Amino acid sequence: MKRTLGIGLAAVLLVGVVTAVVLGQDEDEPARLRTVRGVTGSEKLAFFADQRVKDVFAKHGLEVRVDPAGSRQIATATDLGPYDFAFPSSAPAAEKIQRDRKAARTYAPFSSPMVVATFDPIVDLLTKAGVVKPGPGYPTFDVRAYLDLAAKGTRWDQLPGNTSYPARKNLLVTTTDPRDSNSAAMYLAITSFVANGGVVSSPDGEAKVLPAVSKLFLDQGYTQSSTEGPFEDYLSAGMGKTPLVLAYEAQFADRVVRGDSTIRPDMKLLYPAPTVLSKHTLVPLREAGDEVGRLLSGDAELGRLAATFGFRTADPRHFADVVEEKNLTVPQTVVDVVEPPAHETLERMLEAIAKQY
Amino acid sequence: MIRRLVPVVAAAALLAGCSDEADPARPVGDPEPGVLRVLAGSELADLQPVLDEAAKATGVSVKLSFTGTVEGAEKVASGAAEQGFDAVWFSSNRYLELVPEAQKRLGTPAKVMSSPVVLGLPDAKVRELGWAGRRVGWAEIAEAAGARKFTYGMTDPSASNSGFSALVGVAAALSGSGSALDAARVNAVAPQLEQFFSAQTLSAGSSGWLSEAYARRAGGTDPGAGVDGLINYESVLLSLNATLPAPLTLIYPSDGVVTADYPLTLLTSAGEEAREAHRKLSDHLRNADVQRKIMDTTHRRPALPQVQPDAKFTVRDLVELPFPGSQSAVDGLITTYFDRLRRPSRTLYVLDTSGSMQGDRIEGLRQALVGLTGADESLAGKFSRFHGREQVTLLPFSSSARPALKYEVPQDDPRPVLDRIRTTATSLDAAGGTAIYSSLRGGYDVLREQINADPDRFTSIVLMTDGENTGSEGFADFQRFHTTLPQDLKGIPIFPVLFGESATTEMDQVAKMSGGKVFDARSRSLSAAFKEIRGYQ
Repeated sequence: MKRTLGIGLAAVLLVGVVTAVVLGQDEDEPARLRTVRGVTGSEKLAFFADQRVKDVFAKHGLEVRVDPAGSRQIATATDLGPYDFAFPSSAPAAEKIQRDRKAARTYAPFSSPMVVATFDPIVDLLTKAGVVKPGPGYPTFDVRAYLDLAAKGTRWDQLPGNTSYPARKNLLVTTTDPRDSNSAAMYLAITSFVANGGVVSSPDGEAKVLPAVSKLFLDQGYTQSSTEGPFEDYLSAGMGKTPLVLAYEAQFADRVVRGDSTIRPDMKLLYPAPTVLSKHTLVPLREAGDEVGRLLSGDAELGRLAATFGFRTADPRHFADVVEEKNLTVPQTVVDVVEPPAHETLERMLEAIAKQY
Repeated sequence: MIRRLVPVVAAAALLAGCSDEADPARPVGDPEPGVLRVLAGSELADLQPVLDEAAKATGVSVKLSFTGTVEGAEKVASGAAEQGFDAVWFSSNRYLELVPEAQKRLGTPAKVMSSPVVLGLPDAKVRELGWAGRRVGWAEIAEAAGARKFTYGMTDPSASNSGFSALVGVAAALSGSGSALDAARVNAVAPQLEQFFSAQTLSAGSSGWLSEAYARRAGGTDPGAGVDGLINYESVLLSLNATLPAPLTLIYPSDGVVTADYPLTLLTSAGEEAREAHRKLSDHLRNADVQRKIMDTTHRRPALPQVQPDAKFTVRDLVELPFPGSQSAVDGLITTYFDRLRRPSRTLYVLDTSGSMQGDRIEGLRQALVGLTGADESLAGKFSRFHGREQVTLLPFSSSARPALKYEVPQDDPRPVLDRIRTTATSLDAAGGTAIYSSLRGGYDVLREQINADPDRFTSIVLMTDGENTGSEGFADFQRFHTTLPQDLKGIPIFPVLFGESATTEMDQVAKMSGGKVFDARSRSLSAAFKEIRGYQ
């Protein structure tokens, strides 16, 4: 398998060289690149925009241009006509696209656990409220305890002894729109698991958990359709707007690696117990898109670069190196990870929630 | 194919009533390299200097065309926006994203800056209310408003985002449940909301006009009654403060605000060049230096977390109130605002039905009025119909004024009265001369009587005429008459509509002397102008 990939890669490299030669470019002139267009979850935008990433693709004769969209939006609403590949942030969304578009295969080059990003004063409040607990080397967000608070419609200003954040709004994790976005679907995977006491796998299970999990979305009111939105709000508008935000670990890690001073010392990561992994999965829609998938999965340089954007890579060494080098406060291994429900189950639950808006 | 297109285009041009004007679907032209055509909220006009610099730095020039909140959403949803624009730029995408047909046409957003909607009051008023040096919540603000301890101006929520945000904010905060609004929650707090809105004495279709009118009234150059404060963007209030003799103190409600975040959003239909232009422009606008420049010149908060907001933003960490999660909840809230919550309106239409109005013109007038009776089923049309509790008087005139036709739209079952207005409108006929000023003067007799019976209403006059005055009373006579009016009548704004061969200079003066505003219907339909005026009534 590995060897085949190596040969494939060499062939791609060769094509790049041949193309350059045929076009007769000299050293000063940039080689004419083949434009490949993709649509991707917003959390991977920065990766594709990075010059080093562009350079690697250029070496292979490609210029990759991406538009961001919510992953479920990519799977259901977006016109995929103009795109060579779709790159949603989860396996279930990719599965649907693959089925709809009859794609021969998919690539899953990166993954990232779902986390809750917050602030020190909120960590203190929620520790007292029994929601934040010390975990195996990292702080955890106890989903069961959170669901109990949310079920009662608890407001922040109703937490006993709360002087640091007495906001008159519900104690809720800010998510994206469950109608569009993958991270919201991942959140549903986590919360439905806890509400059901295991992966939801039957209509009875769906019916049992829906009232509780629907409330977590509906009580937020308007939610944005793409994960970058609430995370940017977390960074720029701060605690007032977004005391707790559901994010990909990669979003947070990426900012720390960049060292752009957007992550302030009072910002903290919590790992939901349990959590799920978001498996970023590329679906090729045309040949050029397939090439991008092959490169992302097989090219070591792209793997290393992906890790600097906070993604856990197929080869765990890349991410481990970045954690060590940048002194990231993230666990090497996240325990208490559960599987999301089957695609159809997840979709049915999301649709049932959507109907209540 | 091309040949076959020509007659269609020509016909379209004829219909638009002008052959050399821009295509109305493409007010800022065809796509071209290096140009980003943007459908935008009007408050973005103050960003022009930043955009000029952006054009120099990036080679991308931005062409803005302005529209209202709901109308903009409608243009995106219907696909009309795609015909003439590459991107949209409103103070928020929240409403757009609640309309499924609009949401699917939205591509890459880049949040450029932010500004919360807050209350500005003069310092003396703040002290009088006992609010100096402490934070107050919406409930306390609503109570003081209900007791008429202060008055304020706010924009029309269906036309402008600042009014819309304020409406959502106060409703969310007062509902006290902490979670997002639905109809039941709105109904539960309707009495408190009525209290809050009872102190709103000035309305406008745009944030810009609202603050200008406020400043004119504060400075005494507008005959309208003074207004204590304004609900508007923090940025608009900070800018306004630079021009006021006594600056306003900004009240940031402790239980939260609704904040505009200005996402410059590509439409999914945009071509490759426009995408590139959007990318370049977004990168430029989100550059740290440009973010600081935006903060300095427009008083909006930076979107980039690396850029520290400066000291003029006295309250940094603002609680953001939840926003409704469905279009039906929002539309219901706006409808409730108009039909039940706000101070009711009294609107007088002085309408030219002289001989020169014959043909298309009188038909256009009929349609414009019928549109306001609920026949216009567009989103914006729905909200601009005559509202529950509104007093509507039609005063048609030709060689002299005809009898005034008075209606009062009931709160609960408006249909029968709206139908009567519609019947009257469709039977308007054109004949005779154009006695503008004696008819307008007669209008004040109607209003005097109505005000004496019920003073607490938004009162305004729409004056629609298509030509020069032919009556014996002239503009100078009206001017003299106007100066003799008592304060409550003198302060009634007149909104002249330019149409046909209107006497532009006189109409400007009529608007100015009354604190009104001129609306131009010469290059668009009377319906469009009448709809826009609704924001000011």
